[in-house]
Amino acid sequence: MAERIAITGVGQTRHKSKRPDVNTPELVTEAVEAALKDAQLTMKDIDFMVQGSFEMADGQYLPDMWIVPEFGGVGKPGFKLQNAGTTGGVAAAAAFHCAASGLFKNVLCVTWQKMDEGQGAFGRGGGGLGEYWQSQIPMSPITNFARRTYAYLHNSGCTEEHFAITRVKQDQCALKNPYAQLRLNTTVEKVMESAVLVWPIRFLHMCPSTAGAAAIIVSPEKQAKKVTEKPVWVEDWFCTHVGGAYTMAEEPTLSTLRYGCETVYKRRGITNVLKDIQAFEIYEPCSPAELRWMEEVGICEDWTAWKLMEQGKVGIDKEIPFNPSGGVTATNPIGATPVLRIIEAALQIRGDAGEHQVPHNVNRALATGYGGQGENVIFLLRKSL
Amino acid sequence: MTTEQQPEYIQYKYPRTQKYTHALGYQTMAVEGFKQGKILANMCPKCGRAMVPARVVCPVCYVDATKWVDQGQRGKLIAAFKIGYPMYDRRTGVSQIWEKPVVSIELQGGARLDGWCSEMDFDKLKPGLLLEAVWRPPEERIGAFDDILHWKPVEK
Repeated sequence: MAERIAITGVGQTRHKSKRPDVNTPELVTEAVEAALKDAQLTMKDIDFMVQGSFEMADGQYLPDMWIVPEFGGVGKPGFKLQNAGTTGGVAAAAAFHCAASGLFKNVLCVTWQKMDEGQGAFGRGGGGLGEYWQSQIPMSPITNFARRTYAYLHNSGCTEEHFAITRVKQDQCALKNPYAQLRLNTTVEKVMESAVLVWPIRFLHMCPSTAGAAAIIVSPEKQAKKVTEKPVWVEDWFCTHVGGAYTMAEEPTLSTLRYGCETVYKRRGITNVLKDIQAFEIYEPCSPAELRWMEEVGICEDWTAWKLMEQGKVGIDKEIPFNPSGGVTATNPIGATPVLRIIEAALQIRGDAGEHQVPHNVNRALATGYGGQGENVIFLLRKSL
Repeated sequence: MTTEQQPEYIQYKYPRTQKYTHALGYQTMAVEGFKQGKILANMCPKCGRAMVPARVVCPVCYVDATKWVDQGQRGKLIAAFKIGYPMYDRRTGVSQIWEKPVVSIELQGGARLDGWCSEMDFDKLKPGLLLEAVWRPPEERIGAFDDILHWKPVEK
């Protein structure tokens, strides 16, 4: 029988485009120490560790051999995972499984990416769907989202301006988050005038390269209640695979975001998404994606999210508190990004998000990780079970 | 580090050539098709999904997809984009300007693939535009997507 589990500590670095002042182990240690301090624990209390980074972006395998000794984890059981953009998602899911097994008291999940050092464009390597074929046409997250955004424009009837409005909303949220990397105080005009990367994706639409790390500590119920007065309960999580998509043209077999959300909603009796979930931290790699993701998590009908954005209904203190932290377009240390979503969702539930705290009571929050052509990991967090 | 020193990076370049060898397995037929100027897909007998390049099983129905179908030389545009910055070629690692737009096409036989487009006026690249394959000469083909030089709009 699985144990009920809770997040007892969270920690993240101040995210920046460049961190020449620290090497990777030093960066990761900042997040680990912050999480331990938050939980009022020490490394002596940690009895299992899950680590995650997108090794291809760092251009280095087995980085944990270098990193783990720095934060005092030598000799502790654990493993390292990598799964492109969903690395933090699968690492957190694995940590939750380990904690739910009841075998461990305090499981540390630590993820990172120091993108000021490696090749953020994924080095030479391809996307894992058949390198021979995929290398023949330039493919990247930017071209992938350009194709999807072209489809969104034609299917929804929205204009480029709606993507810019979305970007400004994201930036207004990030301005209130001291940990966010990009806090631009930008305008619709500036977004519309920013350089075209791959039309219709512009420079200011796309997430940045970030040097950053994120860590959480998760424990079974009995231990969690000993550690903290504000445990954030992990109500459910779901991780699945997608098929198809050898080329960008070929549609994946399913939207794992939609499918994953529908699965956990059904399991948890969620029938009215906006009523039952009070905060959303969804991995949106670019501004236009946020619109599609609002639809796929069930907030509104397909191809209509741009209307809600236009009407000003989305924001920290608005009807739809979607990515109050500023999201991934503000901060993206790839391997750590899904764990940042979990941390931000947990802070909202605890009421500890500071200036970007959603003003109403957050009892339940949804967080996701995203990667590749559409792999998603879904997490539901709650204040009480 | 003393307080007077500013943090800095040390930068290295790793000039190296990496040789990759790929076993194509079930995709061999598709490779041979490209060399002959044909786009061959294998189809799922259950849902009709056509796959380029081929896969042994349908990813949706998980049944053997053993029927091979020539997808024809024409298809409808379903999406397009234009790369606006020097983007690296994954085969060489070298960044370059990509002049032609990329189009995603649904072929007559139902399979989908990506390619370059000869139409440089991006405003003309609307969903549904009928495109036709323009192939490299047979002696230049290697069994790859870019055996198709580009896709050109079909004149009405």
